[in-house]
Amino acid sequence: MSSPGRSWPSPAPWQPSADVYRTRDGWVLKFDLAGVRADEVTVSIRGRRVCVSGVRRDTVVEEGCSYYAMEISYNRFERYLDMPADLENARVTIEAQDGLLTVRMSTEGNEYV
Amino acid sequence: MSEQPVVYELPVLPLKNAVLFPYLVMPLSAGRPASIAAVEAALASESKEVLVFTQRDGDVDVPTQDELYAIGTKAVIRKMSRSEEGHLELLVMGMERVAMVKLDHSEPFLKARVAPLPLPEDTSSELEALQGALIDLAGEALTLAQPNAPQELRGLLVANDDPLRLSFVLASMFSLDAVKSQSVLEAPSRAEALRLLHKYLTHEVQVLELRNKITSEARSEMNKEQREYMLRQQMRAIQQELGDKGGEQAEADQLRERLDKADLPEEILKEATRELNRLAKLPPGAPDYNVIRTYLDYVLELPWRKGTEDSLDIARARRVLDEDHFGLKDVKERILEHLGVLKLNPDAKAPILCFVGAPGVGKTSLGQSIARALNRKFERLSLGGLHDEAELRGHRRTYIGALPGRVLQAMRRAGANNPVLMLDEVDKLGHDFRGDPAAALLEILDPEQNKTFRDNYLDLPFDLSKVLFVTTANALDTIPAPLLDRMELLRLSGYSEEEKLQIAKRYLLPRQLKETGLTVERCSIPDATVRKIISGYTREAGVRQLERAIGRAARKIALRYAENQDLAACTIQPDDLIEMFGPEPFTQEQARRELPPGVSTGLAWTEAGGDVLYIEATLLPDGKGLTLTGQLGEVMQESAKAAQSYLWSHAGDFDIAPSLFKDAGVHVHVPAGAIPKDGPSAGVTMATALASLYSKLPARSDLAMTGEITLTGLVLPIGGVKEKVLAARRAGLQSVILPKGNQKDLRDLPEEVRNEMKFLFAERIEDVLRAAIPQLGDRMSRVKMRPAA
Ligand SMILES: Nc1ncnc2c1ncn2[C@@H]1O[C@H](COP(=O)(O)OP(=O)(O)OP(=O)(O)O)[C@@H](O)[C@H]1O
Ligand SMILES: [Mg+2]
Repeated sequence: MSSPGRSWPSPAPWQPSADVYRTRDGWVLKFDLAGVRADEVTVSIRGRRVCVSGVRRDTVVEEGCSYYAMEISYNRFERYLDMPADLENARVTIEAQDGLLTVRMSTEGNEYV
Repeated sequence: MSEQPVVYELPVLPLKNAVLFPYLVMPLSAGRPASIAAVEAALASESKEVLVFTQRDGDVDVPTQDELYAIGTKAVIRKMSRSEEGHLELLVMGMERVAMVKLDHSEPFLKARVAPLPLPEDTSSELEALQGALIDLAGEALTLAQPNAPQELRGLLVANDDPLRLSFVLASMFSLDAVKSQSVLEAPSRAEALRLLHKYLTHEVQVLELRNKITSEARSEMNKEQREYMLRQQMRAIQQELGDKGGEQAEADQLRERLDKADLPEEILKEATRELNRLAKLPPGAPDYNVIRTYLDYVLELPWRKGTEDSLDIARARRVLDEDHFGLKDVKERILEHLGVLKLNPDAKAPILCFVGAPGVGKTSLGQSIARALNRKFERLSLGGLHDEAELRGHRRTYIGALPGRVLQAMRRAGANNPVLMLDEVDKLGHDFRGDPAAALLEILDPEQNKTFRDNYLDLPFDLSKVLFVTTANALDTIPAPLLDRMELLRLSGYSEEEKLQIAKRYLLPRQLKETGLTVERCSIPDATVRKIISGYTREAGVRQLERAIGRAARKIALRYAENQDLAACTIQPDDLIEMFGPEPFTQEQARRELPPGVSTGLAWTEAGGDVLYIEATLLPDGKGLTLTGQLGEVMQESAKAAQSYLWSHAGDFDIAPSLFKDAGVHVHVPAGAIPKDGPSAGVTMATALASLYSKLPARSDLAMTGEITLTGLVLPIGGVKEKVLAARRAGLQSVILPKGNQKDLRDLPEEVRNEMKFLFAERIEDVLRAAIPQLGDRMSRVKMRPAA
């Protein structure tokens, strides 16, 4: 039996939580994205809006093992952050380590910050 | 490379009694073994995706493909935990809409191959309006359902600016049942989704209103009873103090006095006295007491013998009629005639008039004017949408809350037994299981029966024979024949531009100025401006839009005066209209310049007046027979067949190869928009279109035609000549072909139209073709001459 409850709206992909740091030469964004490889993440910047999106796949699934409970969200995620400054010309590097995805944006050398 | 449809396969989670929408998160509980297996299979994948399909029948455990709706939603399982009973508690999130290709039963769980079914993305200006209306309605429903709904809920409505998302949120917010929800999910367009929701929420609001009403009624009932009890106790105390006899007794005495004074017919008085005696015996708390009281009140207030005195001064009546309405000669004469009859014989039977005409031509206001001219009371009841016989005739007194029908209520309001009683919109009368109001109407309008009209409530004969009944209708085709038979039809055809100008100048303008408190000196609207309003801002046979537009202009000027006391006199020039009303919504509908072979110009008579319509015919090589599309009634189809058969049988005369009829089919199209009310009058237009098609010769584009044809080629007269000619003139067409039999109707046309337009009268279809397709005319004369040569 699949009995339903009331549903409610939410943006279709799930949203990871994020920390935002100001650094001397730009910004660092840190996302709670364990199990996601850096090369599976897309960062796009439009003016002041930074969008980080990608897919988390469950790679632990193997023969003979089945779920007892699940709380981690899989499949597509997407997170928008509105920054205080235009970052379209920033240099961006992405790095995944220890369950965190770090996006560095350096504005060094840009006249307008 | 052609794009492959992306078909994919996933486990299926069948839902009972609910629908999962894209964009929405929904908690679910999976308990069926197959469902549990499906969830486990989904969780064993990297992407955690399942397909959610709703079951057509909630009682089936393992549904077949036919038992599932074909359209569902692909979802991602976001969370899963196990309950104590071993169910899986899920949180799923709708991702995209999918259509089932094939359901697969080969595993312990259901699997399906599906193809994505992208959500519609139509846009239109209608969409915005629909969305606004839906948000308003949802707000209303929310207020009814949860008067103290949290603000966030309301916020959701406004925040969801995507129409589909809004529809989905509302469908789940109001827990619409699975069938309704599914129809929203399947909606082929955004507009349709919004429309569906609007329908469903309207129903929801009605249910909620009813529920609230019942609760509040139950509450007030109790309060009323308690109050009455208290008052009665107090009254009793006072009466004892004063040594008075019971208040009830006093009331009965009062009623008896009124009965004696009232001038009731004998039979009525007898019946009323009997009821009064019953009342006197009842304790005032008895349920019947109030019923009888109300009944007696009605009996006392009805105008049994009371009537107003007619003003029989014909000159005055003529003046009043002319004061209120421009033109309408026939109708006014008919009223004056009746006045003359009344003068000679005061007991003459009144005619039952039926005013037929497009909206806004003055039917209702003419009724009022007649009452004024005769110095009678005026009452109006609208029959539009009425489908309960009891509305006209009342409910028996044994029903709780019964009242007399609307006819007697109108008589009571009139306070006289000879009012002008207008039955508006007889053509919109409904009928269903609650009885046929037309039957009751027949009785009311029948001079033999209405002398003793029996209302169910009153159950006493009331004399309606002195009433002057006037009915109104936009069209006659929905009026039952026996009803039509009893009435004397008077047509109010539409007005020409010239007539509208006169009506505006002499009637509408002074009236609207007076209403806004302006004077002609302060605000003048010259003829040119009125003409521009008529041609650019209104499209109607009557003058209602015109009156409204003039009113709006007058109010704008009044506002200017209010803001600026020392404003000098003000004139509205044609160019000011753009600023007042915006750009012209209607540009004069222009006739097409040149017609290709196979197209001809017809005239239709519609509920809103007349219209020009183009009938288009094309050959279908290798096709067969006659295909008809567009706005075609059965009569139209017959006309088309008659036209084709006629041409076929005379192919030789027109120099058309008979093989064309055999070897090719024909498609005839009557464009939508102009919905002709009188099918047969398009006959000559069809014939012209077909003749032009077969002969490959174009028809004249400056000429329109109307008329019915017979198989032998006779052209028969049709209705609505004035409306049709005016429509042709509006479209800039100079010539009109009319059936010979309609020649007499030209006198209904305003003089300036008669002078300006060219009319050709046709007896036979050859006359029409010769005039409409000049080159064919040449050919025909050649053919005619051939034997002689
Ligand atoms: N010939 C006329 N002269 C002066 N005023 C007119 C004339 N015809 C119509 N009007 C005015 O136009 C307005 C609309 O008329 P009315 O309401 O009587 O239309 P109607 O024929 O009853 O329409 P419907 O079929 O929509 O009920 C009224 O204010 C009426 O006074
Ligand atoms: Mg009316």
